[in-house]
Amino acid sequence: MNKQSLRATIAKEFTFLFSLPALIWPLVFLCVPLATILYLSVVSGTVPIISFHKYFQLIDWMHTRIIMRSLILGFGTAVMCLVCAYPIAYFFAIKAGRFKNLFLFLLMIPMWTNFLIQVYGWFFLLEYNGLINTFLLKVGLINEPLYLMNNMVAVFILMIYCYVPFMLMPLYTILEKLNIHLLEASSDLGASPMQTFMRITLPLSMPGIRTGTLLVFVLGFGEFAIPALVGGGKYMMVGSLISYYFLVVRDMGLGAAFTVLSGLVLIFFSFCIYLILGVWCLRDTKEEI
Amino acid sequence: MQKKKSAYFLPFIVGLFYFFLYLPIVVLIIFSFNEDPFVFYWKGFSFKWYMKLFQAGEVWDAFKNSLIVAVTSTSLSIVMGTLLVVYGAKRQLANLQSLFYSILAMPEIVLAVSMLSFFSFMGVSLGFSTLIAGHTLLGLGYIVPIIYIRFNELDKRLVEAAYDLGATPEQVIYTIIIPLLRPAIFSSGLLAFVISLDDFVFSFFCAGGTAQTLPIYIFAMIKTGVSPVIAALSSVLLVLSSAIVMMAALLQIKRIGKGATR
Repeated sequence: MNKQSLRATIAKEFTFLFSLPALIWPLVFLCVPLATILYLSVVSGTVPIISFHKYFQLIDWMHTRIIMRSLILGFGTAVMCLVCAYPIAYFFAIKAGRFKNLFLFLLMIPMWTNFLIQVYGWFFLLEYNGLINTFLLKVGLINEPLYLMNNMVAVFILMIYCYVPFMLMPLYTILEKLNIHLLEASSDLGASPMQTFMRITLPLSMPGIRTGTLLVFVLGFGEFAIPALVGGGKYMMVGSLISYYFLVVRDMGLGAAFTVLSGLVLIFFSFCIYLILGVWCLRDTKEEI
Repeated sequence: MQKKKSAYFLPFIVGLFYFFLYLPIVVLIIFSFNEDPFVFYWKGFSFKWYMKLFQAGEVWDAFKNSLIVAVTSTSLSIVMGTLLVVYGAKRQLANLQSLFYSILAMPEIVLAVSMLSFFSFMGVSLGFSTLIAGHTLLGLGYIVPIIYIRFNELDKRLVEAAYDLGATPEQVIYTIIIPLLRPAIFSSGLLAFVISLDDFVFSFFCAGGTAQTLPIYIFAMIKTGVSPVIAALSSVLLVLSSAIVMMAALLQIKRIGKGATR
């Protein structure tokens, strides 16, 4: 074996080293921190003892209520986003034709804008003397301004506004792959548009619905900034309580335990959603075959 | 009759969707030119909030911090992500994708809080380096899957042809694979850059006192009350992000054009 080929062999054996930084980074800044938080949640005292007393400390009505509220927020946002995004994704994928790129482009500008700016724009609309109230008063639909800010209405509106793209993209991706001939065949065979939708389009778009719902549910569950800004501080969410434990009380152990606990709840419910929507996917594809 | 009704239904919904999508943004821009500080009534046209904005030093400090973090973390994640896809063993790469997807599928607050406790456990003080570490992690989550998907779509015959003609592995990587990956690298880098500029949660937990980014500044301003200076700042940022989107779209068109001629 001459020198050059030896060098080439050695180079071949060791080039994989170049791929390591991108693996070490998530290991150090994702896996190790997650392990740290797990460790902090069960270990306490100057002499480290493993105990679960922090978890028991957290199991009470207040914490249950906060976790339930975040679950409702996440799930509600996911469902509303699905309702809003489905017709839009359907339109983009099937009806928009040559204007599709223009529509997608117009969609991207708000998406790529800082979400705090989007939130701030809604302030002008939702305030007590904001535009929506002014408009409704002028039209005569209401006699006195509605309270739209600093409550759950505002939180839900903004959550939907900010999270709709996360639903739209998976739905659009799956609907774009939909075979149009199936829809034509269905209507040729005498199905009404409603029947075609319920029995062809909807079942075939189930994977997209599942991805989008899970994504919005998970992200909405942990949302922290929107309830803090427009929720009026009346409703604690999981996100706000975590930041309260870490930044205000500065009790890392308790904060870590609560993070782990709510994370477990989140994983459990995500898994349930995944299974339920998955069974639906499976059953319908079987019927299809 | 029914067909006609449904033909109008969908465009109507889409129109409504775009109306509500753009309404807050348009209103924000209009009111940034409002004369009166009591911002919900239109008093007259004025540039004075923009003047105030350009005189406010802390805004530009925050903006500078945001740019430093975004540029550093994006470059880091682009370099590491590209090296991983290009040099990584193919089979492991497919298995590893779930690691990078899991970064995106986790609530950001969990990532941020665990990183915060990790840093304080290690005794690392918060600042630029910790924030960059977090944003690079986020960037990898977006960049690696995009580049990997593009890598899988590459025409493998080009690589084989290069090897048959006697190219070394290095030559194949630097003259064939990376140029072909360039559009994906660029667009995913742009995405990571915007994500980093946009990020609030990481900055809130992992920046400490020294590295106040723009979102933190805006958040604090909004919390203290509605200020037209923020509306002016928002309009400026909107123009900026529209320019970035425009750039990304042009890139896409160019790529499609190239694909058609090939």
